[in-house]
Amino acid sequence: MPFNPRRGRRAQARAARPQAARARAAQAARARVARAAGLAVLAGAPLVLGGCALSSAEPHSILHRHSLTIGVKGDQPGLGQLVNGRYQGFDVDVATYVAKRLGVPPSRITFKTTPSSVREKVLKDGTVDMVVATYSITQARKTQITFAGPYYVAHQDTMVRSNDTAIRSVHDLAGKTICAVKGSNSWKRITDERSIPAVRVDVDKYSECMPLLTGGKLEAFSTDDLILAGFAAGHPEVHLIGAPFTDEKYGIGLRKGDLAGCEAVNRILTRMYQDGSARSYLNHWFADTGARLGDSVPQFEGCS
Amino acid sequence: MTTPTRQPAVPSTAAAPAKRSARPLERQRGRLVTLVRGRWLKTVPGRIRGWTALAVLAIAALALALTLSIQDARQGVQTIGHDAGPQVVATGNLYFALSDMDAQIADILLIGREKSLGIGFEESMRRYERARSDAGSAAVQAAQLAGKDQDRRQTVQEVIDGLGQYQRLVGQALTLNEQAQHPAGELPQPVIDTYRQASDLMKLELLPKAYNLTLDSGATVRQSYQEKRTSVLDGRYWVLAAGLVVLVVLAAGQLAMAREFRRLLNPGLALATAATIILVAVGVGVLNAQAGHLLRAKRDGFDSVLTLSRVRAISHSSFADESRYLLDPGRADTYEQNYLDKVSAILWVDPRSQPANLKTYYALAGKAATTYHPGDRSAFLGLLGDEARQARKGAESDALARVLRAYAAVLDNDRTMRQFVQSGDRNRAIGFRMGRGSSAIRDFDAYDEAMRSLANTHSAAFDRAIRDADGGLSGWKVIPPVAAVVIAVLVLVGVRPRLAEFGRI
Repeated sequence: MPFNPRRGRRAQARAARPQAARARAAQAARARVARAAGLAVLAGAPLVLGGCALSSAEPHSILHRHSLTIGVKGDQPGLGQLVNGRYQGFDVDVATYVAKRLGVPPSRITFKTTPSSVREKVLKDGTVDMVVATYSITQARKTQITFAGPYYVAHQDTMVRSNDTAIRSVHDLAGKTICAVKGSNSWKRITDERSIPAVRVDVDKYSECMPLLTGGKLEAFSTDDLILAGFAAGHPEVHLIGAPFTDEKYGIGLRKGDLAGCEAVNRILTRMYQDGSARSYLNHWFADTGARLGDSVPQFEGCS
Repeated sequence: MTTPTRQPAVPSTAAAPAKRSARPLERQRGRLVTLVRGRWLKTVPGRIRGWTALAVLAIAALALALTLSIQDARQGVQTIGHDAGPQVVATGNLYFALSDMDAQIADILLIGREKSLGIGFEESMRRYERARSDAGSAAVQAAQLAGKDQDRRQTVQEVIDGLGQYQRLVGQALTLNEQAQHPAGELPQPVIDTYRQASDLMKLELLPKAYNLTLDSGATVRQSYQEKRTSVLDGRYWVLAAGLVVLVVLAAGQLAMAREFRRLLNPGLALATAATIILVAVGVGVLNAQAGHLLRAKRDGFDSVLTLSRVRAISHSSFADESRYLLDPGRADTYEQNYLDKVSAILWVDPRSQPANLKTYYALAGKAATTYHPGDRSAFLGLLGDEARQARKGAESDALARVLRAYAAVLDNDRTMRQFVQSGDRNRAIGFRMGRGSSAIRDFDAYDEAMRSLANTHSAAFDRAIRDADGGLSGWKVIPPVAAVVIAVLVLVGVRPRLAEFGRI
């Protein structure tokens, strides 16, 4: 009988939204039980089962799950990094917080390394239930998946060597060598969108930029401030110039159409900022890196 | 009850009353055994009685199914039409008023001592005061509507607290601005710094919270809609099933009695059957209609009203980003990017291989907006794209076409204004933006007016659907039980003469 799973879902929704939802749920449950009792006496079993099946829960929701598989980055210090077999970072903390509020304790979460190029694919084919991996919300991506959040709005900023005082805004990058990571949009924002004639140094991964910068083979490394801050943590020889010029809305990717899940996650994110958890995660990973950390809940994108 | 007195010796006085009370219980148990043994079913009047009880029970179940389904419909209409729906409007007003406050301040600081530029200092101040008062009352309303939801109440409280801080910063900026008496567009650094603090507070804390309140209320409506509409649609099957059971029971009874008593038609039972058929048909019809009303209220009304209130708020805020772009050259890059982000949220066309900057946007979005025709559902994305996919051909698509044409004009003005800045003529850009020798402000007002008239067509559709739903439900509190009693009475009237043939009723 689908009655039990339904009640289970309500119990979990209770965790996220207390009063009004609870009253409504109880009322609906009562009505359903009364109706079932009234009819079960009379109608044949096939009729009752037919009636129940019509109101069964949505199949692919992030809600009422026993366990969750969450896609995170594996090589991004401070955000999602695999260290000695454990994932750690801001994204991992956010994912753990959200999962816990959805009723899934850390012991039943499986993290999976999810590179940027496969984020839509793994959500669609069900390899992961949710992606928390510096995943920027864009209009194009919104047509393929549902985004909860953003849980953080990062800004593109520029990191230079601490002794370099010539670069103070993005326009000072004209003629300078910058790190251009394959598949990343960050350098295009400088050379294409703003037509600033910076010199590209092509690399495959973000992590290759750091040694090039500290080794003097690069003059600047420009991308989201949280990513930069993650690299800068513990490296006093580099710093962020603090001249942000874009908004990168980091969203939580869910399967397309999971609106109930998206709305629940948004409420959880509101709570994460209200109870101070977000602030403590941010301070833990990015304090003293020069990044200006936002500690107020971001403007949500809306579930669609 | 004479047995105990006949017994010669009573062992104890306490045992007697105990035995006395045990007797009726025994008799009851005896009746129960008789009932369960079911030999009475082998007698004709027994079978008729049993059947009658079954029929009455089935009729009661039908009434119950109908009542509960109608109740679902009523709750759905209540939430969407009368509770959460209005809450979305209230929080939408909050966002709009906050955004308007900051927009007016940006204009005032931008024009400096040239107080008649644009809509003028006095008018901007008046609008600021009005927006402040609107924001205050919208916040109070949002707090009331948040009810017992703690998270939502806290968010409203944070907005109210932040609003106080914002007004303090704005007060400082206005004082500094007044003291500086600067020409338009040449703000001294202290004014810029103070305004940055105020504007950041607004952009990073107040507006997001107000916006999230609207989204959250919208989510409540969506959930309630989905739950209640599903229940109402399912309710039809419950009513049909219960009705079918009643009809089967009635038909079986009539057949059996026709055989037993050799009477072709039992008028009471025939009438009961007809009444059941009518009740089920009308009940299912009403539930169908209610599901339809909910769908129309949500899809044609509520969704679009919510979308358009977001479009209006974001549009006003992007228009103010033009002023901010002009008044704070140090952050011009950021404000330009903000502008692009906002207009992309309103209407978006995939730039594909072209750089995703304003230049590309002007070309692609301008073309999409001017060449819109209803029926083309994939020309552009963004909030207006959502609206284009929902708008029905006719009044709605015509109003949307007007919005898009007006939007193209606003974009065109933005391009001209930025061209002046890039060519180094900031003064001309400021004059242009503030409507000196240009139609920039008029065009924006026309765009806003077009949006309002589009939103009005949707709120009319919403009101109509809710009115129809309320009207369709009136009377349905009494109809199911009364109809059930009538049908049950008809059944009893039908079986009475047959039982009477056995001399006892």
